[in-house]
Amino acid sequence: MAEEKDLVEYIAKSLVDDPSGVQVNMIEGEKSTILELKVAQDDIGKVIGKHGRIAKAVRTILSAAATKTGKRIVLEILD
Amino acid sequence: MIHSMIKTREFEGKSEKEAIDKAIEALALDREAFDVEILVNERKGLFRKGSVKIRIHLHDDALPVTVPTEGESKLIAFLKTLLKKMGFPGEVTISFREDMKIGLDISSRFSGILIGKRGKNLDALQVLTNVYAGRIGLKEMRIIVDAEKYRVRREESIIRLARRTADQVKRSQRSRLLELMNPFERRLIHTTLNKVENIDTISEGEGLLKQVRVIYREH
Repeated sequence: MAEEKDLVEYIAKSLVDDPSGVQVNMIEGEKSTILELKVAQDDIGKVIGKHGRIAKAVRTILSAAATKTGKRIVLEILD
Repeated sequence: MIHSMIKTREFEGKSEKEAIDKAIEALALDREAFDVEILVNERKGLFRKGSVKIRIHLHDDALPVTVPTEGESKLIAFLKTLLKKMGFPGEVTISFREDMKIGLDISSRFSGILIGKRGKNLDALQVLTNVYAGRIGLKEMRIIVDAEKYRVRREESIIRLARRTADQVKRSQRSRLLELMNPFERRLIHTTLNKVENIDTISEGEGLLKQVRVIYREH
C-alpha cells in the first residue's frame, strides 16, 4: 500500500504550486485502504479540476495500480 | 511543424571523440547531422584527465521526430515516473509532432492494464499528462498518450462499426442505438455517416458518455 501512497503523493506534487503542502495519510482497513490527500488551500482546485476531471483521473490510475494487490483503495481529497 | 526545436546542445567528455559519441547517442543522430564547436579542450596531462566540452549545432533538417525537446523531456520523465510508481514500468517515446499536438507512445509489457477497459486508464494518463504539460509551459499543446496504437485501432474500429450499422439500418429501415461513447468517438460516427444517403445520426442521453442513434430517413 505504501506504493499507492507514494503514487498519489507524486501525482499531487507534480500538479500543485506548493509541493510542500502535499500530505497523504493512509488508513488501512481489512478490505480497503483509504488515502487522504491534503494540499494547500489554493491548490485544491488543481487536484480536483473542472467537474472533478483530475480527481477522477487520479482515482482511475490508483485503481489500476491497485489491481496488483486486489485491494480496494479509496482516495479522499480533504478541504 | 516542429516546435521549439533545439539547435544547439553541449556535451562533455574526456576527449573530443567521447564528447561527440555522447552527442550521437543522446540525440540518436548521425555524425553528419551536426557541426561541432569546441568550447573547452584540456589535454590529458601526466597527473590529470583530459576534459573536452563541445557545443553541437544541428543542421536544420537534422532533428528526427524521436528527439525530445526540453519540455518534451519533462513530459516523458513525468509519464515514465508515473508508470513506474503505478508498478507498471515502461518506455515512453515521442510518436509524432503536429501543430499544437504531441504524441507520446508507451511501450510496456503491462500495456494491457495501462490501456484499461475501453481505454479508460490510457485516458486518465492522458488527462494527467496534459495537466502537467500546462504546468511546465506547454499549455496550448494537446498531448496524446497512446500504447500499442490503441487509439488508432479504436478509431478504425469505430469507423467500421459506423459503416456496418448504416448498412443494417438501410436494409431493415429501423434505427439502431450504439453503445455509450465519449464525445470524440461520437463525432467520429457522425462525420463518417454525414454524407451517407438515407441515414441520419443523433446523440441520446446525458453526461459525457452518450449513445448515438443511427436512423433511417427517406429522402
